[in-house]
Amino acid sequence: MMVMKTPKSVDLSITNNCNLRCSYCYHFTSESESGSDLSTDEWLCFFEELNRCAVMDVTIAGGEPFLRGDLKELIEGVVRNRMRFSILSNGTLITDEMAAFIAATGRCNSVQISIDGSFPGSHDAFRGEGNFAKAVAGLKHLQNHHIPVTVRVTIHRHNVNDLEAIARFLFDELKLPGFSTNAASYAGLCRSFADEVQLTVDERSLAMETLLRLNKQYEGRIVAQAGPLAEAHHWLEMEAARLEKREPMTDCGYLRSCGGVFSKMAVRADGEMVPCSQMSHIELGRINRDDLGEVWRNHPELIRLRDRRDISLGEFDSCKECEYLPYCRGNCPAMAYTIVGDENHPSPDACLRLFLEAGGRLPEPA
Amino acid sequence: MMLNQKPLVSPLLVLREEFDDWAILFNPDTGDSFGLNPVSVFIFKHLDGANTLHDITQKLRLECQGTPDDAEQYVQVFIDDLVERGFAGYEIGAGS
Repeated sequence: MMVMKTPKSVDLSITNNCNLRCSYCYHFTSESESGSDLSTDEWLCFFEELNRCAVMDVTIAGGEPFLRGDLKELIEGVVRNRMRFSILSNGTLITDEMAAFIAATGRCNSVQISIDGSFPGSHDAFRGEGNFAKAVAGLKHLQNHHIPVTVRVTIHRHNVNDLEAIARFLFDELKLPGFSTNAASYAGLCRSFADEVQLTVDERSLAMETLLRLNKQYEGRIVAQAGPLAEAHHWLEMEAARLEKREPMTDCGYLRSCGGVFSKMAVRADGEMVPCSQMSHIELGRINRDDLGEVWRNHPELIRLRDRRDISLGEFDSCKECEYLPYCRGNCPAMAYTIVGDENHPSPDACLRLFLEAGGRLPEPA
Repeated sequence: MMLNQKPLVSPLLVLREEFDDWAILFNPDTGDSFGLNPVSVFIFKHLDGANTLHDITQKLRLECQGTPDDAEQYVQVFIDDLVERGFAGYEIGAGS
């Protein structure tokens, strides 16, 4: 697989701080929560390097990016350096005035707001009281200024029975064109609250079934790259392939689930370059000290992660006899690291065989 | 385009060159991106306000073997397309 000369996109954690402490936040207590935030000037200097490297997009995240008092200045720096931007936010701090500013840049790809419920009890269960109303208010400010808004619904034990109402709320009431889903995964703070937060096998089965049904009802407007909906799509395909004894599927049988390291990288709030915001333990160098292009092309750790795609699943005891091996890509390397301590390992979190052995059931195809 | 005009690309555009000499031309104001083949990249990089159409075609002939006799027409079509999209222009008063 060809590696670009420089990353096409860079994820920027511009702050470690957040006004919330959501029980499944991947940031807090993980390696991404480290050091102190960079100054405005340090970020602006780095944006000039991103410009020289012809980086096209940045994703501004945190912590909570709207907590930074200099956010406008940082966005102006992004725009000045010929990039577009997206923002990931809990939505609670977005004012009408800030939404107007973002709209006026003309460079915003999207602002993603986390909404986990159709009513305060469901959303606030793990995000804190009063935050549903604030997030919805923030979202409406963005909509009023015609900024592309996306919503991420993180599915957990307190909202898995609210999915139908969530879809109704987001589509019918907030008039969103679509939304994305994932599930509270074993990373960051979630590791301390896993039993309260993470879906059981039965709940995971229910979530898959419900999301497939809703997605049919709403004509494919719900999307997912991970979590129950993504698993439902992929696992049903794997099961059909196994039953029909199909030829191995493209890129399967190897650790090839993630292509992120071929086109993007990330920077922690303290200025450390990392392969991905969820693999913040792999330190590649410091911005404004180490050359981004050099790190991108030649850092041994990035090369090691890119070479991951040449590792056969047959090398792992847990996989070599698995009937799904020709249809499996080994899942997320960050989750593999969090669970088994090695990125170059299949992640058991999204393993179909383990899910079925634990009593999980696949939904009917939609 | 007049023969002595020297086209200039918009400084807002981003040219992402890749290892195989192809490039992505990115317009951050719209988010649109276009793939450029190596010849287009060569031409694009000479739209610096210092070269006429003829200059660029001559340099292309030196750089690439087997450049066809009517290459200048194709270079012009490419430049005209960039101008039409608002990606290139001419300095007002320059060469007019």
